[in-house]
Amino acid sequence: MKYIYLILIFFTVRQEIFPQDALASQFNYAKEIYNEGHYFDSITEFKRLIFFDSSGKYNFTANQYIGNAYKAGAKFSNAINYYTLAEINAENYNELFTAKINIIRVNILRRTTNRAFQLLDSLNCDKKFSNKKKEIYYWKGWAYIFADDWQKASGAFALTDSNETLQKLCEKVDKEEYSVLFAQIISHLIPGSGQFYTGNYLSGLLSLAWNGLWGYLAVKAFVADRIFDGLMITNFLWLRFYSGNLQNSKNFAEEKNLKIANKALKYLQYNYSGTKP
Amino acid sequence: MNKIIFLLIIFCTNSFSQEVRSTQSLNLFSPTNIKKFGDYLFCQHDYLRASIEYEKYLQNSFNDTVSFKIGLANLAMGKFENASNKFLSISQNSVFYNLSRLEYLQANFQTGNYDTYRDLYENLNLNSHYKYFFKARELYSFSFLFTDNPLPQKKIFLNTFPEGEQNKIGEFYSWKSDPPYKSPVTAALLSTVVPGLGKIYTHKYSDGIFAFVTVGILGYLAYADFHANHNFRGWLFSALGAGFYGGNIYGSAASAQIFNAEIKFQFFNDLKNFLEEHNYFVPLINFCK
Amino acid sequence: MVNKLSAFLYFLLIILFISLNLFAQIENSKWGKADYSYQMPDRFEHRDYSFNEKNPERFVLKSVLNAYWFFISDVDGNNCSFSPTCSHFFLLSVKKTNIIQGSLMFFDRFTRDMDIFGKVDHYPYAQNGHYYDPPSLYMLKKDSINYIPPSVVVKNE
Repeated sequence: MKYIYLILIFFTVRQEIFPQDALASQFNYAKEIYNEGHYFDSITEFKRLIFFDSSGKYNFTANQYIGNAYKAGAKFSNAINYYTLAEINAENYNELFTAKINIIRVNILRRTTNRAFQLLDSLNCDKKFSNKKKEIYYWKGWAYIFADDWQKASGAFALTDSNETLQKLCEKVDKEEYSVLFAQIISHLIPGSGQFYTGNYLSGLLSLAWNGLWGYLAVKAFVADRIFDGLMITNFLWLRFYSGNLQNSKNFAEEKNLKIANKALKYLQYNYSGTKP
Repeated sequence: MNKIIFLLIIFCTNSFSQEVRSTQSLNLFSPTNIKKFGDYLFCQHDYLRASIEYEKYLQNSFNDTVSFKIGLANLAMGKFENASNKFLSISQNSVFYNLSRLEYLQANFQTGNYDTYRDLYENLNLNSHYKYFFKARELYSFSFLFTDNPLPQKKIFLNTFPEGEQNKIGEFYSWKSDPPYKSPVTAALLSTVVPGLGKIYTHKYSDGIFAFVTVGILGYLAYADFHANHNFRGWLFSALGAGFYGGNIYGSAASAQIFNAEIKFQFFNDLKNFLEEHNYFVPLINFCK
Repeated sequence: MVNKLSAFLYFLLIILFISLNLFAQIENSKWGKADYSYQMPDRFEHRDYSFNEKNPERFVLKSVLNAYWFFISDVDGNNCSFSPTCSHFFLLSVKKTNIIQGSLMFFDRFTRDMDIFGKVDHYPYAQNGHYYDPPSLYMLKKDSINYIPPSVVVKNE
């Protein structure tokens, strides 16, 4: 009798020794398409997997992959939707953290950095992720980079202890950048000096010359008691060129800073080998 | 006792294997499952993927509902030509024939092919007893408001619509038959007589006042300088005054044309809002209840 | 109790998924990997000082404008509330029509620029925040008028 039972168990179990689960092969198929770079089709196959997976076993992973595919296609709103679904279906704290960080990375990429900071702060305050502080500071650094605040980015990378390259790059950019406030202040005092500070010498000379000319003529008119002439020159000419000088000092400083920042961003995108948003 | 344990083991393994066998035997790409997945995507508004799945399904089976849904999906994506082709492929024997023809007409209306809409409506022979036929008939009348073709008689035109809407549509009809355009020639002539008056005629009040003041000041300065024998300044202000005066006349004529474009734009906007508020383009069947 | 909780959670999940999908981008065509850049867009305007003029009249006009831009306009700041600026409007008007019609369009534009009260109600906005006012509206050709209502931000100038 024992042998009959053993035979029965053997035949029952035999079919399960090499299972060919349809969902598992669908998952592998979808992953293969994703790895080949056919992101649109991979999303379709992962959605198919989710639809037929009544147990929800693949919900987290499939939603993650869909989010990754949308991110690769620069469809950031859709990517965030699916990372959010992955977050809802996370089965442990590691998966939850991964999903949340992915949402933060997409917010960084599309430059909604205020939202990224909010999410990073909530992660920082969450006791569940107290062992993930370095990673949180790492992404905070990236968020500051995309928010064009290189000084704070450098500070954030310093707290990660291991990203000296990024810290030094951010410090370098911060030092190279021009101070917009300084340019505006000196332009208030001496018209054209802000332009000299940013290296736009010709514009600075012209600004100085025009302001000098109209200022001289206005003062001469007031001294000669030609008040109306003095007011007209001051209002329509001198003030116009003076405010133009202030505008230019600000714009030139910002334009130079944009070039410096973009050079660093280009390096980070194409030459930096670490994890990027 | 041992027998019971063995039986229990066999029972549990079999139950587990039933579940595994159900996923083993699950063919995600069977026609039924493709259609199920397509329906799911359609209701999720993922129309492109839904239409791709439905096309896969139609390679193996013929189904009018699916063809109609592909048409709706293409319509939702703004692919009117694809939608039209799909709607036209539905045969006269199908339950969806009238609906598909109606959607096809609506697709033409929504793309602004109003003349084509009228031609198609006259040639399609829609079943006049069909419950949504009145929509097609109303849109046929509406299409005249969007084009420059001669309008039908007012009474015949208004009778197409339900009584509650006839007042508003009557206003649209009146506007269309006699739009309150401004004449560029009148505007230019008014500005010739009084600088800025042409701009006021076209409702650009502050522009008109500034034109009047500018030409007035320059004219006065020219006069004052000539009077004081400052000939160079006199000629300078005269030239500037003439330039601004000519510009004011030209600008008034242009302003009248822009005014006419503005009120025409507003009229079409009001028409489109009316159609939306009265649900002319809401899908006639909801497949996703 | 657990079953009721999981059913409730699934219900919330469905509601969230539906609401998330309401704001999702609708895909109209198959797409592949996108080539997006980390770099910030260049929002600063740069003058076009180039000479592509075929006739002497326009060459002279462009020279005068280049000199005006270099010595005066680029130094006295961004004072024109319109886009394109008045001087650029003049250049475009002359290119599209002729010197006389272009001059009349310019004088009209200058008058409208002086109007500090009526702009908000009449003009849409360009990407740079100025009022969008192209020469095509003023060529006295009905068909070239592409009317855009006020307060709308124009995407393709």
